[in-house]
Amino acid sequence: MSVIGGIGWIAPWLLVALAALPILWLILRAIPPAPIRRRFPGVALLLGLADDESVTDRTPWWLLLLRMLAVAAVIVGLAGPVLNPQEAVERGSGPLLVVVDGSWAGAARWGAVRETLEGELALAAADDRTVAVLQLTRPEAPVFLPAQAWPPRLAGLRPDAWQPDADALERAEALMAEAAFGAVLWLSDGLAYPGRDGVLAAAEAQGPVRVIEPSGSAVGLRPATYAEGAIQLQAVRAVPGAPRSVDIVAQGTDPAGNARILARASAEFGAADTVAGTALVLPAELRARVTRFEIAGVQSAGATTLVDDSLRRREVALIAGRADREGLELLAPLHYLSQALAPTADLLEGTLPDILPANPDAIVLADVAQLTDAEQDGLLAWVENGGLLVRFAGPRIAASDIGRGRNDPLLPVQLRAGGRTVGGAMSWGEPKALAPFREGSPFFGLTVPDDVVISAQVMAQPGPDLAAAAIAELSDGTPLVTRSALGQGQVVLFHVTANAEWSTLPLSGLFVEMLERLAVTAAASAPQPGDLEGTTWQAAQVMDGFGALSDAGTMPGVDGTALIAAAPSPDFPPGLYLSGDRALARNVLAAEAELTPATWPARIPVTGLATVPPLPIGGWLLAAALVMLLVDVIATLALSGRLTGPRGAAAMVAVLALSLPMDVRAQTSEPEAITAAAEVVLAHVVTGNREVDEVALAGLTGLSDTLFFRTSVEPAPPVSVDLELDQIAFFPLLYWPITPDQPTPSAEAYAKLNAYLRAGGMIVFDTRDAHIAGFGSASPNGRKLQSLAAPLDIPALEPVPQDHVLTRTFYLLQDFPGRHVSRDVWVEAAPPGAERAEGMPFRNLNDGVTPVVIGGNDWAAAWAVTRGGQPLLPVGRGFGGERQRELAYRFGVNLVMHVLTGNYKSDQVHVPALLDRLGQ
Amino acid sequence: MTTPAPIQLRARAEGEAARLPALLARAEQLAGAVLLGDHGRRRAGTGDDFWQYRPAQMGDSRRLIDHRRSAMGDVQFVREREWQIAQSVMLWCDQGASMRFSSDTELPEKGDRARLLSLAVAVLLVRGGERVGLTGTRLPPRRGRQQILRLAEMFSEDAPEDYAPPEHRAMIPHARAVFVSDFLGDIDEVKLALTKAADRGVRGVVLQVLDPAEEAFPFRGRTIFESVGGTLEHETLKANDLRDRYLARLAERKDALRHLCAVTGWQYGQHHTDASAQSALLWLYRALGGGTA
Repeated sequence: MSVIGGIGWIAPWLLVALAALPILWLILRAIPPAPIRRRFPGVALLLGLADDESVTDRTPWWLLLLRMLAVAAVIVGLAGPVLNPQEAVERGSGPLLVVVDGSWAGAARWGAVRETLEGELALAAADDRTVAVLQLTRPEAPVFLPAQAWPPRLAGLRPDAWQPDADALERAEALMAEAAFGAVLWLSDGLAYPGRDGVLAAAEAQGPVRVIEPSGSAVGLRPATYAEGAIQLQAVRAVPGAPRSVDIVAQGTDPAGNARILARASAEFGAADTVAGTALVLPAELRARVTRFEIAGVQSAGATTLVDDSLRRREVALIAGRADREGLELLAPLHYLSQALAPTADLLEGTLPDILPANPDAIVLADVAQLTDAEQDGLLAWVENGGLLVRFAGPRIAASDIGRGRNDPLLPVQLRAGGRTVGGAMSWGEPKALAPFREGSPFFGLTVPDDVVISAQVMAQPGPDLAAAAIAELSDGTPLVTRSALGQGQVVLFHVTANAEWSTLPLSGLFVEMLERLAVTAAASAPQPGDLEGTTWQAAQVMDGFGALSDAGTMPGVDGTALIAAAPSPDFPPGLYLSGDRALARNVLAAEAELTPATWPARIPVTGLATVPPLPIGGWLLAAALVMLLVDVIATLALSGRLTGPRGAAAMVAVLALSLPMDVRAQTSEPEAITAAAEVVLAHVVTGNREVDEVALAGLTGLSDTLFFRTSVEPAPPVSVDLELDQIAFFPLLYWPITPDQPTPSAEAYAKLNAYLRAGGMIVFDTRDAHIAGFGSASPNGRKLQSLAAPLDIPALEPVPQDHVLTRTFYLLQDFPGRHVSRDVWVEAAPPGAERAEGMPFRNLNDGVTPVVIGGNDWAAAWAVTRGGQPLLPVGRGFGGERQRELAYRFGVNLVMHVLTGNYKSDQVHVPALLDRLGQ
Repeated sequence: MTTPAPIQLRARAEGEAARLPALLARAEQLAGAVLLGDHGRRRAGTGDDFWQYRPAQMGDSRRLIDHRRSAMGDVQFVREREWQIAQSVMLWCDQGASMRFSSDTELPEKGDRARLLSLAVAVLLVRGGERVGLTGTRLPPRRGRQQILRLAEMFSEDAPEDYAPPEHRAMIPHARAVFVSDFLGDIDEVKLALTKAADRGVRGVVLQVLDPAEEAFPFRGRTIFESVGGTLEHETLKANDLRDRYLARLAERKDALRHLCAVTGWQYGQHHTDASAQSALLWLYRALGGGTA
């Protein structure tokens, strides 16, 4: 590749062809456009007209220029120009070892790291070198392969959620000492970590080292803490520099269980700061749903911090068995509980029926013996759904008979009648102390202070299950705290009171710790190693280098103390750990973590990630040439007049249609609807009986023709309408022949019909049986009509009165015959008060159009015409029959006129008054 | 294997017949828009309708005396009837190939519009009681609806020539005539027909039907123009340069026609296919005297 003018050329000698352009100019200029043949009757007038010049239209200069540009673009494009050609860099020789930090700090720009690596591999492939990749977070023996073999393997190269630890670095040094290579390319993440110098020394021992490091600084997020009523968030960065703002988002689940962003906060780095803090105030409900915080736009494990119980404030309901006695607050059953819980939990107080719907995390019943049946059932259901019920004993429980001789589901054990008092004034023994907690108890590991003494308790009934249920015992082995599982929840019974009446337990710090272990409350501060002594934790979800959580699978349980103390490593991957009901989050960054940037000795060349890759632009030039040639085609057609004629217009439309792929479906899918809306269209309802449907359509055709010839109404051809599928709002009139076996429309169709009637449409029901039956339910068609019309919104009806507007909308009619002659035609009844005024020919009737016309004269059969315009069916006999058909047509015309003009003819009664008023 | 001749004939005949009602219906619809007024001559003469009673004069035949009127007094009255005479109107509608042209799919062909107008005016005239026929010997003027059907049938035929000359044979003296064409062919033929008609006392109407493209000449570039029948051809290198001279020739042609009409006592009208047929029909009807010749 040679570089001319800052642009690289793959085949520069092709540019010589540009010299041929002027010759092409002359040739193109000489060729006239081809003639076009046109049919034109006016040619007779043209004969003998000679052209002014003997030379044809020259190709205009701009078209020539366009063609020249197209040809030039082709030549230049084929010469292969490349933008940003790569300058040469010293890369060493021999096998290349690529060392990758592979920690979370590189994850945020892992794509760029991959691209850079691919670019380097391509260069190595061009030099025919072998390459091996060594990831420091998980060192494996380097395998030297030809550079071409590496790109598909890069997919397996992923950043880890921790930084290389001492073990890994030691192993890496050993591996590098064994391998033989000529040069080292170190893809650093930009963060310093102990032991890096040793690896650098091992690398430099064999060949030159080149470092590629992302520009900018890695950012991380310290674990969230809860203080002063707000969530405290702190972002850190390695290199202080320009002021920068980072968005921190709180991820969690909404009530429906879908993951979503619950809140956002912004932290500002000052110019010299490496730490930026912000506080987020969230309601308790929302705070409890937060599962993680992350820095928006930074996909890295370090920029993600998981949330465990420490942010959750549990809702605990406290319920006492007796009313507080005034002035004896220290004796109140709930005093010590609320003192112990208030700092770390939200307390609910109230009655059980009020509290259960709030679904608290835990309910504490202090000396509550009797529950109503409803309370008992509600409490049972709540516990079985995962609630934690903590009961304290007391005089009431001791006096009642719950749990006596039978298992009470809301008590973990059976109780013996009465209780016992030890070390009181009337007893021999000393008050009892607590025994150390056994292994397997949730309290295991807690230190028992000496001053906790128990002087009274309720006794558990001895039984085979008692030992398993007891989780704390007195020094003489009697159970003090018992527990049993119930559904997904559990019931815990303290056999002493919640106040200091029976024991000093509520006075000691152990009481708070015990509640904490029971997950009644969550620790407000980060756990210390000592707090977790003796607990075993199981990883539930682990985080990868990008900060994404995945199921931990079957990882071995780890000791709580070690879990807190150890830095993240393959053995302790960051993630969410569970122990019983408690959750603990292990994050990449610790609470006070600082990020230190990597520094390299001056002899090591350090470059940034590849910024602008070489960009071949030959393809674009060729495409531009193609477009220019296309424009040339259109321009040539336009110049020769081929775009202006009728065919030209079609071609233009085709070109436009090709170039603008519009969605024309919406316009073509409903052509019938458009016709129906644009024209007057008569319609009939499809009955399913083919013969009846055909006659109905033919009848409407005949009526449409008659309207066309005789009136100013010029209807478009009629259509058949399926009530279930078609839109009926466009039709002024629906003709509905009745057959006994037609299907009843669906509820939606009836809704459509009612909307149609209310909007001024008219339905003509035709039972077609006037020759055999009168009006009513005497015939099957009549009965069908009754059932069909029942859901319709039809007003009161009456036979057409003599002065109905239907009798005079176009023709003056008194009979409405169709194929049959019956006078039973029903329309909407006139209002009861309609009176004929003095001197008026007819009553002042209702406004508007009758929504239905019901009859049985089979009008469609009388109107029906064949395709050639001849009557389809015979009507009557001889001239009388023809007269009857004529009257049927006239009725049809009146009907359509009535629909279209409403009561216009009725308003004629006012003409004398109007003329009078005008002074005529 | 070929279909037997009668079946082919039948199929073609049915195809032709199918066209007929459409043309007829459109013509009837067009004609329906014109209200027919009185067609009497408004003077006494032979006819069916009563005109006036006048006193009997010398020379009146006794058979003419209206005894019912005369019995009311001493004077004898003659009952006169309104003069009603049917006029003969001869149509010539250009069927030549040049009429089978439309510059746009939206527009009708010139010939189509010419036939429609001719038939519609025929319908009107027949309703007015006139006799209508074709020039020449093929269909002499007659009255009645049957004649409309025959006219429609005749109009459905196409002539083979590129520019059909006006038919001027067998003109009935003192009849009226309607010539509908684009008149782009030989002007001498038109002149011959009109002067011959004037010689026989035939008055009439010339309606020139043109396509908008023939008026605008919207062509550019190197073009070979050819007539619809393909008999004439003209090549130009710059069609847009021809435009002015073409339009001048067209205006000249129109002037010639107008002059010819003025000399022979005919009326000249123009119609473009992008205009409504209704207006042309009204003009035709008025030009023919609104049915009262």
